[in-house]
Order: sequence, then C-alpha cells, then structure tokens
Amino acid sequence: MELFTPEFGLVFWMFIAFACLYFILAKYAWPYIIKSMEERADLIDKGVAYAQEAKAQLDNAKAEADKVIAEAHQQQAEILREASKLKNQIIEDAKGEAAIEAKKVSQAAQVSIEQARKESEKQLRQEVGEIALQIAEKVLRKNVSNDSAQRELVDQYLSEVETNN
Amino acid sequence: MRKVLSAIIALVIVALMAFGYYRAASHHHGSGEVNPKEIIYEHLGDAYGWEIPFAHDVRIPLPVIVKGNDGWHCFMSNKVTGGETYEGFKIDHGGEHNGKIVQIVDGGKEVRPLDFSITKNVAAIFVAALIVILMVFSIRNWYKKHGMKAPRKGTAFLELIVDYVYYDTIRPIMGKDAPKYAPYLLTVFFFILTMNLMGLIVIFPGGANLTGNLAVTMVLALITFFIINLTGTKEYWKEILWPDVPMALKCPVPMMPFIEILGMFTKPIALMIRLFANMMGGHMVVLVLMLLIFIFTSMFGAIVGGATTVFSLAFALFMLALDTLVSFIQAYVFTILSTIFISMSHVEPHHHE
Repeated sequence: MELFTPEFGLVFWMFIAFACLYFILAKYAWPYIIKSMEERADLIDKGVAYAQEAKAQLDNAKAEADKVIAEAHQQQAEILREASKLKNQIIEDAKGEAAIEAKKVSQAAQVSIEQARKESEKQLRQEVGEIALQIAEKVLRKNVSNDSAQRELVDQYLSEVETNN
Repeated sequence: MRKVLSAIIALVIVALMAFGYYRAASHHHGSGEVNPKEIIYEHLGDAYGWEIPFAHDVRIPLPVIVKGNDGWHCFMSNKVTGGETYEGFKIDHGGEHNGKIVQIVDGGKEVRPLDFSITKNVAAIFVAALIVILMVFSIRNWYKKHGMKAPRKGTAFLELIVDYVYYDTIRPIMGKDAPKYAPYLLTVFFFILTMNLMGLIVIFPGGANLTGNLAVTMVLALITFFIINLTGTKEYWKEILWPDVPMALKCPVPMMPFIEILGMFTKPIALMIRLFANMMGGHMVVLVLMLLIFIFTSMFGAIVGGATTVFSLAFALFMLALDTLVSFIQAYVFTILSTIFISMSHVEPHHHE
C-alpha cells in the first residue's frame, strides 16, 4: 500500500520545496503584502473619517451662515426702525423750531407795528397841534399874539382832549 | 435561448463521449480483464515520468536520483519506464516494491535503494510552488507598482483570499502574534490550495495526487507540530505536564499528563489524515465512477457500459465540482486549525481570583 507509507524521497523534496517557498515568500512577499493591505485599510478609514469631518464642517458652516443671515436681518430691521424714529423726531423738531420762529417773527412785527403806531401818533399829535394852532391863529389873528404861553395852553388843551378820548 | 443551446451542446458532447467509451470498451473487451485496484493505485500513486494526455505509454522523462550500494546514480526515467534494466536498476512490477525503482544486487535479489528521484509528485510539488510564488508575487508587484490602488481582476481575487485568510482568520485568532506566524500560515494555505486544485486538473501540469499523498500532508503537519511545540510558552508545557486538575488525576498515576501528551500528537496527526483522506477520497470516487464504465462493459456488455457512461460522467462531474469546493475547504481547515493550535500553545498564565 504505497499510499499509506510515505516515501522518504517525496518527504525530503516536499520539505525542501516547502522550506524554499516559505523563505522566499516570508522574506519578499507576505510582510510587504500585509503591510500594504494594512496601509490601504488605514488610508480608507482615514478617508472616511475625513469625509465625515468635512461633512460636519459643511453642516456647521451652513448653520453659521444661516445665523449670520438672521442676525443681518435683525440688524436691518433695527436700523430701519431707528431711521423711522429719527425721521419722526427731525420732523417734530423742525415743526417746533418753525413755530418758535413764527412766534418771533410775529412778535417782531407787533413791536414794529407798535412803534409805527406810536410814531404815527406822535406825528399826528404834532400835526394836529399845528393844525389847531393855525386854526386858532386864523380865529384869533389879532387878539392872540403868537407867544409861547399861548402855545403851551393849546398843547394843554389838546392833551385834555386826548385823554378825554 | 442560449441556455437551451448550451444544454443541447452538452448533451451532444456527452452522447459522443458515451459512444467513444462504448467503442473503446468493446475494443478493450477482447484484450483482457480490467483490474480496478491496479488502475486506481496507479492513478493515485507516484510515478517515474509524467504521463501526457491520451497516450498511456508516452511519458515526460524525469530525473531519477538513487543511491545504491555502489554510490550515486543519476539518469532520466525513460531509461527504465519501459521495463528495462539500467545500471542495475529497474522498476519493480508486482513485487514487494511495486512501481518503485529497485537495484538488482548479486544473486538477482531486488533491494530498494535510497531514492531521491524527481518523480511525478516531486515535479508537481515544484510546479505548485512555482505557481504559488507567481500568484503571491503578482499581488506584491501590484502594490509595488500601483501603491494604494485596489487590485483589479485576478490579483483582486487573490487579494480577497489573502484578506479572508489573514484578516478574518489569522488575526482574530492570534492577535498580536499574527504578523509573526502569518507568512507560514498563508504559505501553507496557498500551497495546499494550489496542490489541491492542480490535482483535479487531469492533464500535464496537474494530475498529480499531491495532497492525497500521506508524505506531503505529513511534512506539512510535522512543520505545524514543530512550530506548536518549539514556540510553546511555559504555561503551555505546564498545562500538559502538570495540568490544573484534582491531584488524584495526576499524582500517583499521571493520567491527565498522559492524555495531554497524547493530544500533542493527535492534533497534527488529525491535520495530516484529514487533508489526505479528503483529497484522496475525492479522487478515488471519480476514478471508481470512471472504472464502473469498464467494469459494467466487461460484465454486461457494451450497451450497458455505454449507458453507464452518461451516468458516470454526470456523477464524476458533480464529484469534481464538489472536490473544487473541498479543495478550498480543506486548505482553509488546515490553515485555521494550524492557527488555532499555534495560538493555543501561546497561552499566558490564567489569573484566578
């Protein structure tokens, strides 16, 4: 039964062949292959981690951008509100100032009117005096000398008239 | 449509083969009885010279290296395969050393010399080793050339196997020891797988029943045995010689140590027998199925033999497909068991609370 009794020659050559095969592969092939496969697995793991991180960052960035936009909207609304407030205030102020100015103008006008009235009163008085004197002169041409005591008297009468008015 | 076509073609081929066997068998019938046992052992066994297909008597000569009682002799096998005697050597036929080279010493006695011949099996081992080297270096060269890119086509398939054996089997079992023993285990896996598959290919570079030969599996099992026991830790030896069992089991009569020591040897022997029996069994079933054609022909005539051909071929095809599966499984089983046995010899002391 040849099959069940190992041949020495075959055992010998099998051992030689296997030993050669082992030393060649163990020295030049397997460590390199295992190292390369491990490196590639690491690279893929890293790539996946990197992609996840990048995605997270992207999501983050989006959220941040949304936040900035919301803030900008808020600021815009605030600015608009402030502007409208300012506008109203300016209008109010302008109205007030205009009123004051108008008051001043009307006061000045009143003063000048008063002055003009006084002036015209004075003038009127003089003219009335003069006219009265002329009239009196014509009336009394001879009797009444044109002295100052007479004039004073007329003036006095006129004042009386005026106060009676 | 294509399925139907290929089914028809397959049927035609099977019918033609059946016809061919029928003719051959009816021709063979006259020349003598079929001796199944002889044919089976011839096909499963070793040979000087490598038979080429379809020509039983034409063999590729291989070197014969023998050391007789008068020193070394080295000649090509075609000097003796025809039954001749060369330099006092001839191939024994039907004697005590059937099929082996013997030296005829004085008095016509036949003595078996020290035989280092490159027989068919040895040559096939070399071819298998070469194929393994080519396969493994094709992966390595891919990484050398393409760096981090994933391999394509055949290399990708080989890488898949390496990945499966190393990352899913060796590393989970061995842990930090894995890189140290991975080269041996991966080499064993690829070598066994190649030898298994080459054995299934019947024509020239294959056709040698390597892993179905006890010598081959014995060498592999012995190497595993030595690795287990030479790299074993103190704890491993303690568990064998003074295991943690009740004193009665080890003190007056060393029963447990005896069982443990027996276990040391049964492990590699189981490895050796498992691979050998699986592969040889597969080959033998196919051979028997083929021989049934000739046996039935000689028993019941050519027509029965022709009919048997179809069934035999169908079953043989099924068996060969099964053997392809078994080739992978057995290579894997040998590797995983070696891994487990080696890692079991690297036990660290248990911590008892």
